[in-house]
Amino acid sequence: MKKYISLFHINWQNSLQYRFSLVVYIGGYSIYICVLLYLWSAIYSEGQSVGNYTLSQLMTYYILQLMINSIIFSYVSWDVIDNIKTGNFSNFLTKPLDYYVYWFTINISGKMLEAVFIIITAGIVSIFVSDYISFPHNPVTLAYFIISIILGIILAFEMDFCIGMLTFWLTQVRTFKYMLQTMILFFAGAMLPLDLFPPFLTKTAELLPFRYLVYFPISIYLGTVEDLLPSFAMLLLWIILFFVLSRILLFRGIKRYEAVGA
Amino acid sequence: MIRILARYMRLYKAFFVQCLKEDMIYRSNFLTLVIMDIGFVCVSIILFSIIYGHVNTIAGWTFHQSVILIGTVGIVREMAYLTFRRGFLELGNHIRTGTFDMFMTRPIASGIHLGMRHLSISESLGEGMMGVVLVIYGFIHLDTWSWFIFPLYLLFVLNSLMIYYGFSLIINSIVFWVVKSQELNTVVYFFMETSRYPGDIYRGIGKVIFTFIIPIGIIATVPASALTGRLSPAFAILSLFIGLSFLATGLLVWKKSIEHYSSASG
Repeated sequence: MKKYISLFHINWQNSLQYRFSLVVYIGGYSIYICVLLYLWSAIYSEGQSVGNYTLSQLMTYYILQLMINSIIFSYVSWDVIDNIKTGNFSNFLTKPLDYYVYWFTINISGKMLEAVFIIITAGIVSIFVSDYISFPHNPVTLAYFIISIILGIILAFEMDFCIGMLTFWLTQVRTFKYMLQTMILFFAGAMLPLDLFPPFLTKTAELLPFRYLVYFPISIYLGTVEDLLPSFAMLLLWIILFFVLSRILLFRGIKRYEAVGA
Repeated sequence: MIRILARYMRLYKAFFVQCLKEDMIYRSNFLTLVIMDIGFVCVSIILFSIIYGHVNTIAGWTFHQSVILIGTVGIVREMAYLTFRRGFLELGNHIRTGTFDMFMTRPIASGIHLGMRHLSISESLGEGMMGVVLVIYGFIHLDTWSWFIFPLYLLFVLNSLMIYYGFSLIINSIVFWVVKSQELNTVVYFFMETSRYPGDIYRGIGKVIFTFIIPIGIIATVPASALTGRLSPAFAILSLFIGLSFLATGLLVWKKSIEHYSSASG
């Protein structure tokens, strides 16, 4: 445990070095959110509406989407892919570190820093558009929301790790990841709320695990989820499933692995 | 002036051939990129059609007119990859490793050389081709035909390319102060992604910001407005003026910034 704590610390410091990039990134993202807010106000000001959403619910949806996107989604697989492709993976085989836990720690420490920045940004953005934001009245809702985010971080990491593991089998894993990423964002509800989709796409999204990454936490926040406990049970099931899958892939991958540039 | 232009054209041709050869080494990669791009454009179209499933117009734009917007972004993006875009993606590496020296010592402008050295035919080809298809598809569903509409469209596409170039120069100039720069290009990426929405959605202060400072209300909207016959002469002239001033500011900022470059190679 101690070694992972120091790993956490080191990575935190490392990421802090690049805080400027984070500021730039978040600046770009806030502008993106502003554009979406203008888009929806334009639509609603013409007297139109989408689905059962009020304008303030949609605005809230997108601001939360901005936060969740940064806090939940894991991008360590880019490094995992590099690590395996270049042959640096060999170093791990000789170290008393668990590869899975290693990347989990890296992910969490990076995410924590991002979360701090993002919450500050979201706070600032919220002040400007406070008229359009809805807050949950029940503190229990907020607690469920936070739990769902924590579980989301775990599930997102597991999925991302699995994608990284594909490097052992696929040569063009980067291209594959790009495509998969778009699909995940789409079915997670990061681009549009899932209940606005045409029925057959909504049905598809319900069967996939991705909805737990974005749509589910936001729906809890907005109070539009009816079957809260079954959904949480399902989410836990997916987490277990992907955990088992990542361990199997890692185990099989190591057997398949041939070091490059040894 | 003409002679300089001719020289640059000749250089462009040489670089183009070279880069095409580099691209062609990885033929399967070429194909995957094109297919992937087409997939991404399809996702945008699906998103727009879902929104249009609920509403009739977005700030006065119908679905077919919005298709022209999506297509225009694709065309501008592909043109950018054929001229400068990937050079900026590589800029951070060049500066970190010191190979940017190469661009400082050649007898052509560094901002142009950087782009030409990394021309990419495959990177956005799928989106560009889809763009042409979408613009044509959107256009045949409209009834705004007149003979000068296509040259006008082309003119404003070039104007948008100029804005895009100027914007990239300004944003990427930061790299000379801050070495790690990937995020800068994320900003440029969002810049193009958000250009898909009609500029008419912006109101008040947003209108000013997204027209003059971060001109995402122009990139696709102005060329598409020309095609859909909603472009007022005043706004047309204004956007040409914005194009020129972005290019001028970009070049100026770039010129000032490379003075800050200190080589990393010893």
